[in-house]
Amino acid sequence: MNDPEINELLAKAALDPPKVDPALLERVADSIAPSLKPVRPLPPKWVLTGGLVLICASVAGAGAARAGFGGVEALTPLERVLIFATLATLVLAASQKLVGEAIPGSPQRLTPSALVSVSCALLIGVFLLLFRDYRTEHFVSAGLVCLATGVLHAIPIGLLGWLLLRRAYAVNPVAAGLVGGILAGLGGVTMLELHCTNFQALHVLIWHTAVVPVSGLAGALAGWAVSRRRARAPR
Amino acid sequence: MARYQAGDFAAAKALIEQVSPRLLRFFLAQRAGRADADDLLQETWLRIHKVRHTYRPGESVMPWFFAIARHIRLDHYRRVLRTRARDERLGEMLQELPPVGGAHDSADVEALEALLAPLNPTQREVLEMLKIAGMSLEEVARATSSSVGSVKQKVHRAYQILRRTLNAPGLKKDPGRGLP
Repeated sequence: MNDPEINELLAKAALDPPKVDPALLERVADSIAPSLKPVRPLPPKWVLTGGLVLICASVAGAGAARAGFGGVEALTPLERVLIFATLATLVLAASQKLVGEAIPGSPQRLTPSALVSVSCALLIGVFLLLFRDYRTEHFVSAGLVCLATGVLHAIPIGLLGWLLLRRAYAVNPVAAGLVGGILAGLGGVTMLELHCTNFQALHVLIWHTAVVPVSGLAGALAGWAVSRRRARAPR
Repeated sequence: MARYQAGDFAAAKALIEQVSPRLLRFFLAQRAGRADADDLLQETWLRIHKVRHTYRPGESVMPWFFAIARHIRLDHYRRVLRTRARDERLGEMLQELPPVGGAHDSADVEALEALLAPLNPTQREVLEMLKIAGMSLEEVARATSSSVGSVKQKVHRAYQILRRTLNAPGLKKDPGRGLP
């Protein structure tokens, strides 16, 4: 049996859709009738994506303005271009992905796990290329401060992002939470690159990059909680 | 759909009548019993109604419907999974779940189920959307939150399995296996 013959069998099987009980259709129509009011569709995707990018940039910028722009001031022009162009690209990709996750039936070109892998790999690649100081002074203490600072800045980005997308509906809350966490984490890394003056390679490689998976994990956990709440909601 | 979003009851009713058979077949093809499929259909419409503002006019509507229906089905099986066997994987559960509820009322549905029986749930789902619901590769990818490449791969594997199954000795003379 070849493919056209299988197609023919499938087409035959699909010829008559099953009959739906008219009483069921009536019941469905009746149940939605009382709440059938005009609704305002979501804004275009580019507006939502732009809003998320703006939130990321604003929170990172505000955080650095408060703590100081020492990091970006100490970088060479080439380093600034490479680091911030990479971060901007990743923030844009994560924002588009998050909007896609929040609107059912959106095209998906990258899985959430691929997004976290690509983000970490790109950041590690750029940091490896730029930073050659392999000393490890105050490795853990300084690192924990940076990780905490990055994650603390990721929290408002996540909350504001959630506020922006509150009317959207993520069919898979865990995936949406993971992507939202990655986006927020990238905002946290942006703040660290603007502020942190510790250019030791391992510090930047490990502690700055770690903000992304840690935030992603927190986002996924939040998504999991939403999904549990949905599952327990009365039908 | 735009008229439904604008609050037109006649449009909502027409949409329910037009789309429900396709959604019902989707649930039945996933080995849900008739009673379960009816419940899932009703639950899907309630969810669609609640999130109807997330459809953006001008975009293809079927991926939007099927993305919601697909997750209603997954949520349903997760609920069943929790109550029946917490340690079994979801995929195995979908494969092993016996039909619950009444018998199917259509020979076509039974024939379709028999034809797709050798496939795993994801292959069955993709083939149902692509070949039976008549959606494009891009639309199936949107509905299943995956890439076009991944959909093509699943279809390719599904065809391999179907070819192997339908060419098995004993089936050659009756490839339709009860199809009308």
